[in-house]
Amino acid sequence: MTGKINVVLTTLLVCCALSVVNARYQRNHLVNDIEKLATQQRQLDIDWSQLQLDQSTLGKNERIEQIARANLNMTPLSPARTQYLTEGGK
Amino acid sequence: MRSNAGASRSTSRANSRVAASKGVAFSKSPVLAVRLPDWRSRVVLFALFAAFVTLAGRALWLQGVSNRFLQKQGASRYMRTEELPATRGKIFDRNGMVLGSSLPVKSVSVFTDDYKENPASSEKIRELASLLEMPQAELLKKLNSDRSYVYLKRQVEMDVVAKIEKLGVEGLDTRKEYKRYYPQGEVMAHMVGFTNVEDKGQEAMELAQQKSLAGQTGSRRVIKDRLGRIVEDVGLSREPHDGKDLTLSVDSKLQYIAFNSIKNAVDKFHAKAGAAVVLDVHTGEVLALTNWPTYDPNNRAHLTGEQLRNRVITDTFEPGSTFKPFTVALALDKGLITPKTMIDTGNGRFMVSGKPIRDTHPHGVIDIGTIIQKSSNIGTSKISQMMSAQDMWEMFTKVGLGQAPRFGFPGAVAGRVRPYKSWRPVEQANMSFGQGLSMSLLQLARAYMIFARNGDMIPLSFQKITEKPMGQQIISPKTAAQMRVMLESVVSPEGTASQAQVAGYRVGGKTGTAQKVIDGRYSQTHYVGNFVGIAPMSNPRFIIAVMIDDASGPLHTGGAVAAPTFATLAANALRAANVPPDSTVTDIIIPEHPLEESN
Repeated sequence: MTGKINVVLTTLLVCCALSVVNARYQRNHLVNDIEKLATQQRQLDIDWSQLQLDQSTLGKNERIEQIARANLNMTPLSPARTQYLTEGGK
Repeated sequence: MRSNAGASRSTSRANSRVAASKGVAFSKSPVLAVRLPDWRSRVVLFALFAAFVTLAGRALWLQGVSNRFLQKQGASRYMRTEELPATRGKIFDRNGMVLGSSLPVKSVSVFTDDYKENPASSEKIRELASLLEMPQAELLKKLNSDRSYVYLKRQVEMDVVAKIEKLGVEGLDTRKEYKRYYPQGEVMAHMVGFTNVEDKGQEAMELAQQKSLAGQTGSRRVIKDRLGRIVEDVGLSREPHDGKDLTLSVDSKLQYIAFNSIKNAVDKFHAKAGAAVVLDVHTGEVLALTNWPTYDPNNRAHLTGEQLRNRVITDTFEPGSTFKPFTVALALDKGLITPKTMIDTGNGRFMVSGKPIRDTHPHGVIDIGTIIQKSSNIGTSKISQMMSAQDMWEMFTKVGLGQAPRFGFPGAVAGRVRPYKSWRPVEQANMSFGQGLSMSLLQLARAYMIFARNGDMIPLSFQKITEKPMGQQIISPKTAAQMRVMLESVVSPEGTASQAQVAGYRVGGKTGTAQKVIDGRYSQTHYVGNFVGIAPMSNPRFIIAVMIDDASGPLHTGGAVAAPTFATLAANALRAANVPPDSTVTDIIIPEHPLEESN
């Protein structure tokens, strides 16, 4: 009787030990994945900052005005040649 | 037998030959014949046993008792401390446009000893020098320096660093750091400020908000496998904190408009400097704050104090006539006068305790509105004589004069107003039209809140705010309304600020020209022209204050240099902010010889 219990317990122990090894292995993999994603996240953050900077640099009022004037031949509007529409047509 | 005997003889002879050639046979060695005492083997046995006990004891000691040191040593073979980066917060304008942002870069430095052992070829040096954008001679000097660790260049961008690392010069070391970029450059310089090479705020909002902007790097312990991959996160030793983002009250578009107006005005009037500030009447937010000369925060190699100076906040000047409305408002509020009260300003010369007060033109008997419109010093002095020094001092203090403003901007000055007890009558008269007291342009603009709003004053903010601030009532709404009418009359063909008119909009304001104080005396040739305006008058939205410092052309007064600058600024700002026009007038009438205020 005790012999049987011992066999069962030993098998159980070996199984547990193996599953611990397996779990550790899987954890290592998952941790590695997290790290990769964290690195990717950091890189994306940097890219996002870079894009925001680019947007601000390219959207600079100075640049817009220069392009509007030089390339597109635009001029600022003046009230003298603006028709204002008011509610009720007053 | 014989033969046997002979044989045995011959063997013994052979034996004796062996003995003769090799000495005594081992088994018969006389040394072995000596019997050793028993204790000696026991001693050896004991010694061996003791040695094993010592080993076991030592092993027990290391394994069981003093194991901390070894565990630490062991852990250090596979555990690593990793730096967790934290970036400095970004700065945005009110519309979410980035004004300042940090990106990772690297510093390039050299371990000179390592380099000297393996100097690079001249071709590599040439390439390195061009990548680092420095002359070869300077680079060589740094590489062969006596110090063991020398920075070659800081804040090198990542793609350049990659190329440098490809060169494979011995001893080069790169370290991660951050560089702050300011995409709006000189336009925003005085509002945003800049950081130093260590990413610490040095000026303006970067300095004021250093604490919340700064990030705090953290670190954590990790276990790495043989390929250097992280397989276990043991725990944080220090949590990283990214800096908080900061949203300023400034509006990029208005800022650009203000910047351009000031830059053009300084150029046009040959002035030494110029500054402007735009406030939101409803929220107290600073929508634009600009200075000329300015600097590019991305390239601060040749920075001068003149460029750094924030004239809006850190410079005080005597406001001059721009201050008159406060004297008049106080008298109106106290019920001493009404807008209809007539005051005799005489022939343009008036004596107060033996000192003359002058107007540029004699105006005769005029009402209060005309005193403001024509900017009469005598009229304002006479009004001030109806009031006590204490009342005036209280009014000036209430509108923020003489107190360092609490809006968290580095270097904000308090301005100066002397305690009323020491005022002499002529000084009181002078102060009534803005002489003998000083303030910053921002303080002056803020003081105009009481006219633009309904007599109350709200705190200023450099950060975008969501809740409308509570105001503190200074003058009655009725007085404020009366003052607005007068201020609007200043900006009319008959007023001193005819050039401040804006087509399509009703605007109001007041000009001022102050003689600069040079070596303790009023200069007769150097002036500060200023103008504070409110637009549009039907429903005030902006307070715009403009200052032109030391215009050296033929024009120098507030009405001639600051008022037209205000007009261009206000026209563009109102249009950019989509403020509906409140006037049908599209033709501006500016008289040939516009009226000038006295000082």
